[in-house]
Amino acid sequence: MELLERDADTARLAAVFGAAKAGRGAMVLVAGEAGIGKTTFVRRFVETQTEALTLIGHCDPLFTPAPLGPLYDIARAAQGPLLAILDSGANRAALFSNILAYLQASARPAVIVVEDIHWADEATLDWIKYLARRLDSLRALLVATYRDDEPAPPLKQLLGELAGLPAVSRILLQGLSTAAVATLAKGKAIDPAALHRQTSGNPFFVTEVLADKSGGIPSTVRDAVLARAMKLSPDGRALLETAAAIGARVNPELLEAVLPAADAALRECIALGILRADGGIAFRHELARTAILGSVDPLRRRSLFRAVLVAAAKKERADLAQLAHYAEEAADANAVKRFALPAAKAASALGAHREAAAQYRRVLRFTDDLPTIERAEILEAFAHECTLIDDLAASIEAYREAAQIGANLNEPERQASALAALAWSLVRNGQNPAAEEASAQAVSLLERQPPSRALASAYRIQAHLRMLDRDRDAAVAIGTKAIDIARGFEDRETVAAAQLVVGAAMLVSGDDAGRAVLDDCLAAAGETGRDDLVALARLNIGSSYGELYRFAEAERELAAGIAFATERDLDHAAHYMRAWLAIVHMYQGRWVEAADLAAAVVDTSSAATVSRIMALAALGRMRTRRGDPGATAALDEALDLAASTATLQRLAPVRAARAEAAWLAGDPAKTIQEAKATLPLAIAHRHRWHIGEFALWLHLAGQDAGSIDECAEPFARQIAGDWQGAAASWRALGCPYEEARALSAGDAGAQLKALKIFNELGAVPAATMLRRAMREAGITSVPRGRRSSTRQDPSGLTRRELAVLDCIADGLSNKSIAAKLFIAEKTVDHHVSSILTKLGAANRTVAAKLARERRSGEADSAK
Amino acid sequence: MTRYLVERTFPDGLGLPINQQGADAAATIVAKNAEHGVTWVHSYVTPDKKKTFCIYDGPTPEAIRKVATRNGLPVDSIREVRVLDPYFYM
Repeated sequence: MELLERDADTARLAAVFGAAKAGRGAMVLVAGEAGIGKTTFVRRFVETQTEALTLIGHCDPLFTPAPLGPLYDIARAAQGPLLAILDSGANRAALFSNILAYLQASARPAVIVVEDIHWADEATLDWIKYLARRLDSLRALLVATYRDDEPAPPLKQLLGELAGLPAVSRILLQGLSTAAVATLAKGKAIDPAALHRQTSGNPFFVTEVLADKSGGIPSTVRDAVLARAMKLSPDGRALLETAAAIGARVNPELLEAVLPAADAALRECIALGILRADGGIAFRHELARTAILGSVDPLRRRSLFRAVLVAAAKKERADLAQLAHYAEEAADANAVKRFALPAAKAASALGAHREAAAQYRRVLRFTDDLPTIERAEILEAFAHECTLIDDLAASIEAYREAAQIGANLNEPERQASALAALAWSLVRNGQNPAAEEASAQAVSLLERQPPSRALASAYRIQAHLRMLDRDRDAAVAIGTKAIDIARGFEDRETVAAAQLVVGAAMLVSGDDAGRAVLDDCLAAAGETGRDDLVALARLNIGSSYGELYRFAEAERELAAGIAFATERDLDHAAHYMRAWLAIVHMYQGRWVEAADLAAAVVDTSSAATVSRIMALAALGRMRTRRGDPGATAALDEALDLAASTATLQRLAPVRAARAEAAWLAGDPAKTIQEAKATLPLAIAHRHRWHIGEFALWLHLAGQDAGSIDECAEPFARQIAGDWQGAAASWRALGCPYEEARALSAGDAGAQLKALKIFNELGAVPAATMLRRAMREAGITSVPRGRRSSTRQDPSGLTRRELAVLDCIADGLSNKSIAAKLFIAEKTVDHHVSSILTKLGAANRTVAAKLARERRSGEADSAK
Repeated sequence: MTRYLVERTFPDGLGLPINQQGADAAATIVAKNAEHGVTWVHSYVTPDKKKTFCIYDGPTPEAIRKVATRNGLPVDSIREVRVLDPYFYM
């Protein structure tokens, strides 16, 4: 059949592939409602690309699909090394990078198609994201099709993340026009306008109606399919129903096993056009299969699935997820358990945690008469998967039930291990007090038994809670116990995790010896392949330096950590480190970068609560300091979220930002209220930097700040009236805004200096406040506000990028630029690509030309 | 979308002539704005052309600042505003 009204879309796809062949790999999302013709459109395009390596994978419409199903399709069809890669049992990271290497090594440009990703499992979605982020290294076009009506949350999240990538574009397929419908209906006794109205030009619906020779127009696509199927003989109908139960793609051997000697019936279905037989038997469209299966009465449906299950279970290399699906439809509890449990483990091993959780949930639903200890085990496995997909509510509930079973059966170890894990889910959900309780209960249960691995784990989690609460001594003492016991059991992962806690607790309280412990943790985590732990350690090192106002070190560690986490798609760690880097840049006076980073994290719906709190604190403070709107909204939300954690590390930055906002708004009463709210907590944890900042706000708002012995040095100096000393300390720490704030308390000369710094930063509210104070003090020559004449670079290039651009204009290579500017060559690469984007230059030659033009332009205007 | 009033100062006067060159400059600004989801609604300019009050629709103040930088436009202040229509009450 002719493909109607798809010329423009086909041309777009061809143009993108053209660019991809030249080395600019790209992804195109093909979206549209069911039956709009996504598959046909993509298939036609692929057929014309005879010189390309074409790899096509399908996602199956199962409640819980097999992990990486489309990749297996692709591998089987390609018959090359891909299948070996998939069957190698390598972990997911290795798998993804091997497939990437395979594509990079391909002599031919590739078209990779993943069909129906609205049904994709989590691992497949992760693979698509992984590939989409690395397209620039490929001569490939990645095409993914999906139904755009109400995408499920995992797909929605992926689409959101893909939307930010320049290499990704979208084609939305539209329904056929009345003219096209008329072309199709030519020679039939049917009114094309009425047909178009009833079907909205949906090509599948239109062809279903046209296939029915009765001439009427059914009201839904389902009715159209069923009307066509009415014409089948009883044998044909039985075969069609069996095929519908088997699935979207009908395995011929399975069909033969369930319904032997049904060739005539099969031919009848194909002749009628409901099934097609080009390259395997399949329904012409999933809409047809759904309609047929939905018309089968429940009892017959169950017996159909029983027959399919029996036949499928005998097959070699049967797909576990498929079997679990048949078992559930057949309402066969034993079979559900037999197939869903291993399916869950297999899915988990491939990182398809959403599917693993769904398989466990299936087992739990079907087998509430399980021996209780087995149920507790499955509950724990289920809860663990839930933590990995951030379904913390379900995880908390399941761990609680598992702990309860342990208590009922008088199995303290089981109860305690569930409680310890529960504590961690509670912390991540921001319920710290409940977490403390669960963790303490776990430890007290296990301490009555001989030392065990479970005790080491429980100590580790308790130490982590103490560390998060900045309770150094307890964290180090309990963490050390965890290390000692775990060493006895040669449990290296728990040792590394406990080292992280001990090291971070030391470092964050200013004990540099913690760094060595963290380095041990990094080494151990790296050796055991625990990338997540490595990222967590880097995150803790970076944020610890940040809390200590050691911003140069914090920046270096966070940048390295972000690169590590991004490379491995460890998004949660990356989000948290970006939020912290925003805070660091704010103190460094790099406000554009700070606000953009913070806004980007706040804009990421998948960011965890803790990341969101830190990003909101940074964003709210940036808006406050620049006098921008939206500061109150950001800081109110931050306080709401931080209050539920009740921990110093979340509350302190938020309360400090709110105190500053109140101060700049000229509201000393509110400043005092905000500063006092968390000061006792900061004192309880002897956190000198937080105490110092709160004390300074009290002091500035006209309150007695109390003893300054507990305050960090720059704050203590300013409160004591030593503004020169305070300014010098801030300058040494590289914090221009804080330096200017200290200078504001000085003499007229210092105040002029402060005003200059505020103006350069764009700190409008602080500058306005200072000018008013100076005028009130009788200083007559107060300069006006910033006249905004500070010429910003018109293309938005940063100072560093301008320096790099200068070198490009001089014809230097990246290597020479790196040497000249004392930065890594990789950093230069990064700057260059950013410069090209901002200038809209295709390559560095064009950029160099633009730069030389700018130079001569500047020279002219200087004349 | 939030509505913002952006105040700008041009010490040497705003150079947006009413001719093709001005039209091109405005079109460039509009296109760069669109990349960040920002819409320039309109502006009020003082007679000496040294100060402008610009009405914008945009997602965040950060987006307003970003496009200002990209377009080489100064920012004195950004305020969130709502429309008040006096004739609504008549």
